[in-house]
Amino acid sequence: MKKSIAVGVVVGLAAAVIVVNVTRKKTSVEPIAWYGMMPHPYKTEVRSGVERFEQETGVRVLKVVGQQWTQDNENVNVEALSTKGHKAFSIYPGDPAGANALFAQLRGRGQIVVSYGAEPDLPTPVAFTVATDIKAAAMTAAERLIEMMGGRGRILNVLELVTDINTKKRDDGIREVVARYPGVSIIQTISDMTQVSEATVKIQSALAARMDEIDGIITTGYNPTIAAASVLTEWHRDPKRKQIRFIGIDTGETVLQAIRDGSIDATIAQNPPGHGYISCLLLQRLLDGWTPARDYQFIDAGIVVVTRDNVDSYAAEVRKITDGIAADLNAKYLRPPQ
Amino acid sequence: MPTSATKRPGIGGRTLGLIISTTLLFAVLSLLSQSFLSSYTMFVISRQMAFYVLIALSQAFCLVVGQMSLAVGAIGSLTTIVLGLGLETWNLPAGAAVVLALGVGVLAGLLNGLLITRLKIDSFIVTLSMMFIYMGLRSGISGGSPYKVPESFRAVGQGSLLGIPYVFLLVAVLLGLVGFMFRSTVFGRRLLATGGNAAAARLSGIETGRMVVWAHVLSGAFAALAAVLWASKLGSAAPETGDDWLIVSFAVAIIGGTGLNGGVISGLGIFMGSAIFMLIKHGLVEVKANPYYANSFLGLLILLAIVIDRVRQIYSDKQKGT
Repeated sequence: MKKSIAVGVVVGLAAAVIVVNVTRKKTSVEPIAWYGMMPHPYKTEVRSGVERFEQETGVRVLKVVGQQWTQDNENVNVEALSTKGHKAFSIYPGDPAGANALFAQLRGRGQIVVSYGAEPDLPTPVAFTVATDIKAAAMTAAERLIEMMGGRGRILNVLELVTDINTKKRDDGIREVVARYPGVSIIQTISDMTQVSEATVKIQSALAARMDEIDGIITTGYNPTIAAASVLTEWHRDPKRKQIRFIGIDTGETVLQAIRDGSIDATIAQNPPGHGYISCLLLQRLLDGWTPARDYQFIDAGIVVVTRDNVDSYAAEVRKITDGIAADLNAKYLRPPQ
Repeated sequence: MPTSATKRPGIGGRTLGLIISTTLLFAVLSLLSQSFLSSYTMFVISRQMAFYVLIALSQAFCLVVGQMSLAVGAIGSLTTIVLGLGLETWNLPAGAAVVLALGVGVLAGLLNGLLITRLKIDSFIVTLSMMFIYMGLRSGISGGSPYKVPESFRAVGQGSLLGIPYVFLLVAVLLGLVGFMFRSTVFGRRLLATGGNAAAARLSGIETGRMVVWAHVLSGAFAALAAVLWASKLGSAAPETGDDWLIVSFAVAIIGGTGLNGGVISGLGIFMGSAIFMLIKHGLVEVKANPYYANSFLGLLILLAIVIDRVRQIYSDKQKGT
């Protein structure tokens, strides 16, 4: 008896599933899907660019945010999205090497991908990356720091993740610039800080150990920049302490406030909204039949150096960069449909 | 009412070994660096030690009753979000936001404890699940963005009295109270008895389930306090707070002599554990250790400190035997 009830339930459920699926109206999916790795200030800003794209073009974009900043998690989520019929994807490569396998898989299914935020390892199956030229940004930051230091002095070089290939590029950029100035040297490099708390401990230790020797600090990652802004705000509260020049990267509120009150000098603002906006604009053009002008192109989304002078207006400068790239997109990076 | 398996805390041989290791590290760093004994260095080291103590206590209270909590960091993170919401979104007075945040930490601990005892599920599984739930809540609520805290809120985390950080003073008092509780109160001894030998404790009339719940409540409270003070120190309520606490909580508690099998804890030991952990981290920066191998050096030095302590213990046991 129990067995017959169980069989009946299973058959009934199976029939219901079939009926629902056969009678269900086909709903159209968004042509473009944007994938953010996990809730994070950077992704929130990228998403704002995607939303601007939607408002201006009327093209719908599915915006999905994952749970972890890992390639594995990204693969699982994007593969699920891929089966839903989206034609184009804007994706951050979680792991520069590993992401290429996912991109190739999507391409194999006839889906178009633009990479945003970071460059995957080359060669890559994607035709475009929209991101900050990180080495150039680090070099700009180093130049500005040395300028603020009066062309001489010793720098504490704070890197973020040693396992990130981009960290090496940033380090190389900084060292290249420092090598141009005979009166400037890197007194110490600290790194491997995945959290603000870890970065705070390391920066404070370095400052405590070499307080008389450090003239300037450069940070090239989000966590160390937030940490350094907090540490230096506290440090400069005591007027007897020496002035330490600082430039970071990224624009958390702690950093902007420290610039406003003069506790730190500057930071590099990247263009996350541009990463979202331009990547979606490219995807739309490609869906409309435009083709890439070359096999692979890196589009530098640009940076703005934020100081006390433009701390409350830099966003407009960033937006101007995006608009400039968008205006040149067809002529510079694409070929018209045949 | 300590059972045979429990140990009354105090400056035992093990803690003495930790004091010797800490003194040795302190002396070496003083010799290596001219700036080590500066007021600024002492300030930053002592303040960071205070945070490590709170995080370790959050784990130690679970360990002492034979449990563990994988959710200490996630509770800290959730607490930070509630604090940020209170201060920035709801514009609550700082005191009210802090009470609310601490309340959330206590509630999270209570929930862990009740799930473990009422459903009789292993603490590893419960706290692993709750860790994901709390982390999901913090990401979902905050969207990953930090909350602003008012300037006045930074006074405790960034201020000092005669050069000693307020956070350190606060933690020193708390540590004294924790030591007193385990040494001289019935409640403290019941916690120790529950972790030392749960069956014997039950036979002695101790409601071990209730003790486990209390341990998780206190664990949640310490995690929440650490999070609130960290936001005060950082000047921002950052959602990623607590993401790196799990390893620290176990490392400092265990270096400090907290028994992994329950029933053993020393407030002074945890203090020394945090000192060793911090001095090693600071020392690696002092000696300009290659940053690419920094974690390996840290692991090796912690292992060395524990091995030295273990050798001392074996030697001491042999001496007693003879």
